[in-house]
Amino acid sequence: MSLLRPLLRPLLCPRVVFLAAFLVALSLVAAKAALATFVSANCNYNAPTPSPNMYRDGSVTVALVARYEGYHWGGGCWNDNDVDEGPNEPLQTSSTGGEGGDCSGLTFKVWRESLNTGDGGHYQWGRLRNVHGPYAAADFKAGVGVPNATYPKADAIVMDAFASSTHIGMVYQRATSGADQIVEAKCEACGTNIFTRTYRSDSAYGGVRRMGWTG
Amino acid sequence: MRAIRLICWCVCGLALGAGVGLGAVAAAGSVASGSGPPDRDAARIIDVGHLPPLLRVPGEPATLRFNVFCPAPDDDPCHAGGDVFVRAGTTGAFRKLPLRRTDDVADGRYVADVPADLAASPEGFSYYAVLRNEDTGASLTVPSAGAAAPELSLPLEHAVVVDLGAHRFGSTRRADARVVAAPWGSAPGLVGLLHGPTFGPIGPSAFDVAANGDVVVLDQVNRRFERWHAGRHAADTSLDVTGGIADMALEPDGAIDVLEPTGDAAARTPELRSFSPAGELQAKTPIADRTWSQLREGPQGPEVQQEPSEQWLPAVHGRRRLSRRAQASSGHPGRSLPNGKELVVFRAGTSEARIAELAGARVLRGWRIVSATPLGEVQLAEPLGNRVVVVIRPYTETQDEFLVLVLDNGGVERSFSVDSADWAETAPLARFRLAGSSLYQLGSTPSGMHVDRFDLEVNR
Repeated sequence: MSLLRPLLRPLLCPRVVFLAAFLVALSLVAAKAALATFVSANCNYNAPTPSPNMYRDGSVTVALVARYEGYHWGGGCWNDNDVDEGPNEPLQTSSTGGEGGDCSGLTFKVWRESLNTGDGGHYQWGRLRNVHGPYAAADFKAGVGVPNATYPKADAIVMDAFASSTHIGMVYQRATSGADQIVEAKCEACGTNIFTRTYRSDSAYGGVRRMGWTG
Repeated sequence: MRAIRLICWCVCGLALGAGVGLGAVAAAGSVASGSGPPDRDAARIIDVGHLPPLLRVPGEPATLRFNVFCPAPDDDPCHAGGDVFVRAGTTGAFRKLPLRRTDDVADGRYVADVPADLAASPEGFSYYAVLRNEDTGASLTVPSAGAAAPELSLPLEHAVVVDLGAHRFGSTRRADARVVAAPWGSAPGLVGLLHGPTFGPIGPSAFDVAANGDVVVLDQVNRRFERWHAGRHAADTSLDVTGGIADMALEPDGAIDVLEPTGDAAARTPELRSFSPAGELQAKTPIADRTWSQLREGPQGPEVQQEPSEQWLPAVHGRRRLSRRAQASSGHPGRSLPNGKELVVFRAGTSEARIAELAGARVLRGWRIVSATPLGEVQLAEPLGNRVVVVIRPYTETQDEFLVLVLDNGGVERSFSVDSADWAETAPLARFRLAGSSLYQLGSTPSGMHVDRFDLEVNR
């Protein structure tokens, strides 16, 4: 140690110590900033706003805001600039913090549900509120949670949904072919949009109704 | 004393470094948030849900219903309104009918009853609607070309009624041949499968059959098309496609049309991409409406059934690619046939399908297919000589199959059921193609995809 002391002495001058500390702090902050994602940079964790009414055509507009904003597995936060700000994310990765909901996260927000599965009330979640909700597609399919119930597919109307063990999409409008226009967060390559689908007649899918609509 | 002084310098350096770093990050963040597009004005959003009553039977009320989707405070329904412009047949002046608001959102909150004299016209009636957000002034015309290509609603007065009764599941016909069989994968001869925790499985999304019997499969997961000749994998060719679920059709010269759900990142409108037989991208043509159902080759080139108009719109006329406006101005209710006629499909209620062959805007013949089992989508409706082949899907909560009907002027000439074989998702109306007198089905199982051939002229 006594041999090293003469070598270290020039490094222990105040200016060098100051510069080293400055660079270390700057590097740490820069590294933290480099890990920022769409979610960490834009989203919040605000409490939802209870709403007395909930209309099917009003909820459609919640989905229309999410349109073009991308898909993110496990996600539930988006803005409204019609650009996916987390494109080309790897499959089955939620840690990338990209923009958009996944199928069940979009449904949860559009259906204005509660994090409490025993609560059937109506809650408005801001589009930048990062929330996925407690349900996966299979839960919706099984009618898990007080607000959700299984429902005959043939009778499904606008804002009812079709759910499989891995996916859920909401009815936008029936088509003349007998297929349906569905609003859904489909996949990374597909994004969130309105697509024509044949879930209604596909036995892998069941009908789901959000209960408690005002009209 | 010297040590204390060094510690002080160290703390100062850390503090200043952190401060400068945070300031720089904040500045970069503001630059970043400013570099992305700002949020759009939500007042611009207006969209419509509408099921045009393409084919009406005697006694049915002629009521036009629309849902208007536009943002309002507290995510309530917006204060919307609008007018429908209706006329008898396809010529003459339109009559303006204001829409009235109702409480029935299931079929459309905004309603107009077509006057009896127009509804009773033997030529049917044509109409378009102009919808408005009364608070913001945002408006939407559907169909988008308005008076230039209105919706057409035709009387189906002398239709042949085909009563299917209750569908018997489990009695399916075996294919005459399996012309393609390919395991999942990415190597040549295999086909791509996309499967995530909240979607899928999604396999090849469409296929078509060439004049020489070759089967071409759109393997969008691997961004290529693959060709099978005489049951053997013959070639695979890279394609510049998005990887989304797309429909496809082969042109007579071997060119390939792919109907994409979106354009490139900046282009949100779905688009038709045309490729040479060698896979070179020839053109990208944005379609007129926001959504599509299916793509087929018409006598003048590819035609796309689109929503919300539900019309068939040509994307190409001869060698000329049509602008969105030109497409919308050429909308018509049925698929164009080589003989100049049209075939119109209308799935009514939960368990009826109406099919009509038109010449001009006149019904030549029609069928009403009624069932005691709910009917899903009409996957295919195409002429076969003087007959019409229809593939429709009966379903329950737990079962589904495809039902193939060969219709003639007397009703059903023959019919059989086909296993749905739909483990992996495809484009919505892309599971069947008719080539010659054979029906081809794109199917899949957990081990791979296949294309089966059913010969329709074989007596069984």
